[in-house]
Amino acid sequence: MSGNDINRRNFLKFMGLGGVGAATLTGCDMPTTVTIEEGKEKVVSYLAPEEYVIPGIGNWFASTCQQCPSGCGVHGRVREGRVLKLEGNPETLNGNGLCMMGQASLQTHYNPDRITQPMARKGGSLVPVSWDEAWKLLQENAGKVDAGRSAWFTGTVSGHQAVLLKALNKAWGSQDHYVYEAINNAVGEAVNEAVLGEAVPAYHLNKAKAILSFGADFLGTWVSPVHFAKQYAEFRTGDRGILMQVEPKMSLTGANADMWVAARPGTEGVVALGIANVLISKHQVSGSVLPQAALDVIAQYDVNKVTEVSGVSGDQLVRMANYLRGNSPSLVLSGESAHNHENGYQNAMAAMMLNILLGNVGKTIDGSNKLAVEELQAKTGSSAALLKFAEAVDAGKYDVVFFKGTNPLFTAPVAMDLAGKLAKVPFKVSLSMFLDDTTMQADLVLPLSSPYEEWNTSVAPYQPVEAAISMSQPLMNPLSSETRSFGDLLLGMLKHHGVDGYDFPSYYAYLQDAMDKLPASIKGSAVDFWADSVQKGYVKATAEGGSLTTKLGDLSQKAVDVGGDFPMHLVPSSNQTMWDGRNANLPWMQEQPDQISKVFWDSWAEIHPKTAAKLGVHEGDYIRIKSDQGSIDVKVYIYKGVHVDAVAVPMGRGHKEYGRYAKGNGVNPLSILSEVIEPTSGELATHGTRVSITKTGEHEELPRLGGSETQVGRRLVSTVSAEVFRRTEGA
Amino acid sequence: MSLKNVLENWSDYRKTHEQGGHHEYEHMWTLAIDLNKCTGCNACSVACYAENNLATVGKEKLHKGQGMHWLRMERYWDEPQMGGDDAEYHERGASFLPMMCQHCNAATCEPVCPVAATYHTPDGLNAQVYNRCIGSRYCSNNCPYRLRYFNFYSYYDTSWPEPLNQQLNPDISVRDKGVMEKCTFCVQRIRTGKDQAASEGRELRDGDVVTACAQSCPTQAIVFGDMLDEESEAAKLWAKQQVELGPYEQKKDKEGSELRGYRVLEALNTDPCVMYLDRVREA
Repeated sequence: MSGNDINRRNFLKFMGLGGVGAATLTGCDMPTTVTIEEGKEKVVSYLAPEEYVIPGIGNWFASTCQQCPSGCGVHGRVREGRVLKLEGNPETLNGNGLCMMGQASLQTHYNPDRITQPMARKGGSLVPVSWDEAWKLLQENAGKVDAGRSAWFTGTVSGHQAVLLKALNKAWGSQDHYVYEAINNAVGEAVNEAVLGEAVPAYHLNKAKAILSFGADFLGTWVSPVHFAKQYAEFRTGDRGILMQVEPKMSLTGANADMWVAARPGTEGVVALGIANVLISKHQVSGSVLPQAALDVIAQYDVNKVTEVSGVSGDQLVRMANYLRGNSPSLVLSGESAHNHENGYQNAMAAMMLNILLGNVGKTIDGSNKLAVEELQAKTGSSAALLKFAEAVDAGKYDVVFFKGTNPLFTAPVAMDLAGKLAKVPFKVSLSMFLDDTTMQADLVLPLSSPYEEWNTSVAPYQPVEAAISMSQPLMNPLSSETRSFGDLLLGMLKHHGVDGYDFPSYYAYLQDAMDKLPASIKGSAVDFWADSVQKGYVKATAEGGSLTTKLGDLSQKAVDVGGDFPMHLVPSSNQTMWDGRNANLPWMQEQPDQISKVFWDSWAEIHPKTAAKLGVHEGDYIRIKSDQGSIDVKVYIYKGVHVDAVAVPMGRGHKEYGRYAKGNGVNPLSILSEVIEPTSGELATHGTRVSITKTGEHEELPRLGGSETQVGRRLVSTVSAEVFRRTEGA
Repeated sequence: MSLKNVLENWSDYRKTHEQGGHHEYEHMWTLAIDLNKCTGCNACSVACYAENNLATVGKEKLHKGQGMHWLRMERYWDEPQMGGDDAEYHERGASFLPMMCQHCNAATCEPVCPVAATYHTPDGLNAQVYNRCIGSRYCSNNCPYRLRYFNFYSYYDTSWPEPLNQQLNPDISVRDKGVMEKCTFCVQRIRTGKDQAASEGRELRDGDVVTACAQSCPTQAIVFGDMLDEESEAAKLWAKQQVELGPYEQKKDKEGSELRGYRVLEALNTDPCVMYLDRVREA
């Protein structure tokens, strides 16, 4: 190349060759942008996209939200390889909608505090190790345990993960898989099973004309809130059903009720009996559908007695009975605040009795659709599992325990001394995305990929409309190359254990094979079943809902203890913002004001103005809540949405670990729970703790949204009567 | 705005805002929010954080009123003069009010801006030009709904530590210190919808654009749409409720109508583009 014929083009070509040449010589494996072949140029533009990627255009891919156990279908918006936004999958149970947890689940995925490599305990603290070393440690400590000396402790598990987990436990010679959810409906399920013959029946809120709920926060944390919200919208249009909520502390559902009734904690069953009493004695509702024993108990609870026990006035009882009588079919539900007492089972039974008395079974409560493949069905959580686990661990039953998807060291009452008991397990493995309170105590930490980085199948525990398998597909490449999906880890453990039949290169390959082997009744007629399922995000499997029985159990109520030195009831309430504490590491959720008190980034205690006046405290004053297990100091929010005998402290904050957003924020009411147990179901009675409250004298302004508690007479939200609504917009 | 233009189009300029102002609107984006369906669940608010790159400012700053919640869920307790009689307990529950920029057609924030950073678009949107804003905060001071949010600090590092920043929506900017921001009715979605319609060679249809809040709402209480498209669900709702854009007092209210539609602080004559439908209670 002589100096004379250098033009701009050749100059650039020359520079390009030189640049690439130099890079090649130094051994760098750079992407080839210019070939050195004579006369050929090949420029690969960044604008040449990977498959489906068009710069600037978002694509939508179906997946499943795993933030709570409801398992809502989502569509994730993916742009340039990143998932940016989630929306509800209109074809699934939740419809278009998604709750705030679902929206914020993106921050679980992108969380800055995620674990990005395996860790092992060395010299007392957790240090990063390689995967090779992690597998070696696992093999050394868990590979040779005797049959029955290992256990799994997980949150809700379903789909093919449940299948693999079962196979793994079998290989280990253990039957022990504890499924624990701090927010559960286990007492209700026990009553449903006993009375209806089905633990999780289908509820048709949209077919009811009146709903009476004893503490079931179906718009917030009960069973499948987004699905119920969708039904609620239908329930409230047309002839507009009436919602009554009986509970000690106003839940989100209670805040939307036509009639919110404060009952003394634990007396929900008595209120139900009182309503039945009014229905039978005043409205001549035939009690013949109930057994004589039940009628005898109901007869004992006349209005005066119910008022004395529960604090619910006779007028309120009569109005509720009137609404139920005049609006058939109705639906009676029970949840958290009714269930989590020593007499929770009786409370739920009394609520169920109203359904039978009012003839709702078969109308608004129906047989549910169960997925025909039993091994894929969800294993739902209970706190009885926690108690059994603690007992087994204390007895030194296990050499190795695996934790996944649950944080018992945060949610278990301190009275249980779970931390002390866990010390008896020589080798604890935590499969986790975060260094939460439990993971920090593990001996080996295996980093999990996020639900939006992995392939998976899951089956929602609540399947009222159609049984379905929910599909999860990666919405983007893993943020860290060192995280593994739960499915892959299970498969890896099966392989390490030398179990035959799991020789798949990945969980993805296993899933494809397993899905292909599903019965033809589920696979249907799709040309490419796998592609079709992944694209839609679900596989609907028509299943027949069974019919329900109505075998009512014993209704007799146990008197609520007076309390002695501890006159108040502690209500450790749940809300969507924090759920069981798992959302505490999401800045969007911390920043989101609580639906009722409007407090953010902190804990608070709710007390009634009368209680506040007695103590001489004002908003923001600290009170000390003391139980027989210890005490917590917390600022008060004063309003007329909590029973005078109750002090409500929402759970979910007060983490000692769990990342920068959660750690040291607020207090954990579960830390002072007494170990009260509901004897029939074996569940922890988390609302059964009695406390005393005193003023500490400290004060700090409550971090809260909004200055005014009322509209000061302006028409910001105005209210019309249902009668007007029905006249102008009724069906 | 040349003098020639003004003279030639005098009839347009003589229109009051009640007649549509001097704009020849292409669209008039509106919301209709049914408080009978709204449960106060906050899904809309978090959806807004996810869609619009809203910074989380932390406890202290949020407590000082420096939060960035473009859509905040207000909650009120009943009071006797509003028909409630909650002597002992809040028997009728709470009143929830999702509040976002009302996109007033006679917006009080617009004329006070010294640099015209906030103005009205031919879509009927109350727009905020971030890179023109000098942070005088006059607009926020003048908004009767308190729906404008000022970046007192730069939040990029504190709000989105790696890899949280990868969630940021590239369709819109991250606002920096000294800039006022507020609900845009998801203007990036409106633009995407228009582009999509244009590339398909058709007019924009109802449903092409859905705001993040409306899309996420589990009860579908929020409906977004174009008032100028008579077939849109939102326009039908406004028509059904006999709420009209323009007047500061609705004809139907003067006639004692029982229909539920109303606009918040309508008497201030800000002409908001958000219609609420009354909350309903049995008694």
